[in-house]
Amino acid sequence: MKLLKLSEQLGLVNYRNQAKSEIKPHIIVDTDICNSTCPHKCTTWVCPANCYTMDETGQVHFQVEDCIECGTCMYACDQGAVDWNYPDPEIGRGVNWNFG
Amino acid sequence: MEDKFDCIVIGGGVAGLAAAMILARNNVKFMLIERGEFAGAKNVSGGVLWGSDLAKLVPNYWKEEDGGWERYINHRRLTFMDEQSTFSLDFKSSHFNETPYTGVVVLRSKFDNWLSGKVQEAIDASEYPMDSFIATDIKVDEVLLEHDKAVGIKTGEDEFYADSVIIAEGVNNLLTRQVGLQDKYVPADHMLTGIKEIIRFDQSVLEDRFQLNGLSGMSNEFVGWATNGIEGGGFLYTNRDTISLGLVLGLKDLREKQQKPYDVLNHFKSHPTIADTIKGGEVVEYSAHVVSSGDSRVMPKQLYKDGILLAGEAANLLMNAGKAIQGMDYAMRSGILAAETIVEAKAKNDYTSTTLKSYRTKMDESYIMKDIRGFQNAVHLLHTDTMQHKVPNLVCDFGRQFFTIKNEPTPKSRQMLRGAIKRHASLWELAKLGIKAGKSL
Repeated sequence: MKLLKLSEQLGLVNYRNQAKSEIKPHIIVDTDICNSTCPHKCTTWVCPANCYTMDETGQVHFQVEDCIECGTCMYACDQGAVDWNYPDPEIGRGVNWNFG
Repeated sequence: MEDKFDCIVIGGGVAGLAAAMILARNNVKFMLIERGEFAGAKNVSGGVLWGSDLAKLVPNYWKEEDGGWERYINHRRLTFMDEQSTFSLDFKSSHFNETPYTGVVVLRSKFDNWLSGKVQEAIDASEYPMDSFIATDIKVDEVLLEHDKAVGIKTGEDEFYADSVIIAEGVNNLLTRQVGLQDKYVPADHMLTGIKEIIRFDQSVLEDRFQLNGLSGMSNEFVGWATNGIEGGGFLYTNRDTISLGLVLGLKDLREKQQKPYDVLNHFKSHPTIADTIKGGEVVEYSAHVVSSGDSRVMPKQLYKDGILLAGEAANLLMNAGKAIQGMDYAMRSGILAAETIVEAKAKNDYTSTTLKSYRTKMDESYIMKDIRGFQNAVHLLHTDTMQHKVPNLVCDFGRQFFTIKNEPTPKSRQMLRGAIKRHASLWELAKLGIKAGKSL
């Protein structure tokens, strides 16, 4: 069986409000903290949707669009950089599981 | 207040729905609030619902033509894995065909939705068919407190009032933290992330491959090579025409060993045994869910306060002590006990801690807290390097020798075992492990 790339795995996720161009992010990340005082940049390793990435210079970037609401970053970040919330049903993103 | 509910249940997962069922049956006026489009839309688990509590909520659920569950477990397997081999403890018994079953595999988007339909039936049959509700697509922003007692909830501009609130919001327990029952930061050291794929097969292929009969099913846990050196383990459960295949991986280890969960999942899937098992399947969903290891250090200090009870994973009620990953059954039982406490509180018309503290007593006397307390050492043991890596390698090494037939004199098994132990650990290490395991299991 062919192994899937993350982009293909995420392509199977049924996201809410996918047609909306403007969504209200449900997670706010203060990447200034990630890029200044954080000693481990844990979220860039543990996020199952790779919403947290580290570029070649070691800078952390965040995007919310692929988030599958698993909560891993909420527990992983002990630096106070991740302000986690549930997506707003109307104007947020987030998931609608077909199987769950 | 005319519109005041006796209770607001936050969350339409297993804990919240179990609570709602008991409330409806006991004519408690309640509202269950779910943030997804329907109960289950936002929920993910491995997942096997262990135990027989489901029969308390839905009597004779096994008689339903198309119930919300996938398969019942009558075949269990624990597999040790190294790079090339798998060595399994395998137990299958027709004893497990008897109802009520002792474990059913579920897919939450379907199961929770089905259970929520059963709760609605109970509401319709209660004294408050028009006054109790399951409300979906609503996100609770805040639990309203007055003098530190819960009086309702806030969602957007709207406020709803109630004498009590059962928080069953799941592991991402923002409201539990808001009301002060859990610290703002929970150390990540005892948390893991669960990821899984749903892989679809032709149903007859699936049934033949896993030797399933009717709605029988299999659960398989994996330890060793599966996680590529990361603390955790793997699982495989059979659904109707899909399997749930996934891993649970320690956050601290992923960070320190600089690995990404989806890469480890592909590593697991590339193992020769797994590759053979999933051949020809098609991945139809990828999902994830953070979980606690069952270490009591991540649990909230208390499960109640004035007007509030915590149930399910909101209280980080989950444990894997080596036999099974238990979470949904804890959610179900804690939801039932929370609701029974609310029923008492309503009878006394006292929703303060004075009455609600009996929830703590019920929990402490239940198998949940007895097991969590009793198996803490087993949880710690399971997460040691010896148990995670050395033992699986040793077991597979021994297996390879034991099952190899060469046209030359065969050494005695104990010599093979001694050799395997020497290559992967030491006798002393294993003796210590044996003593610890003997005490903790």
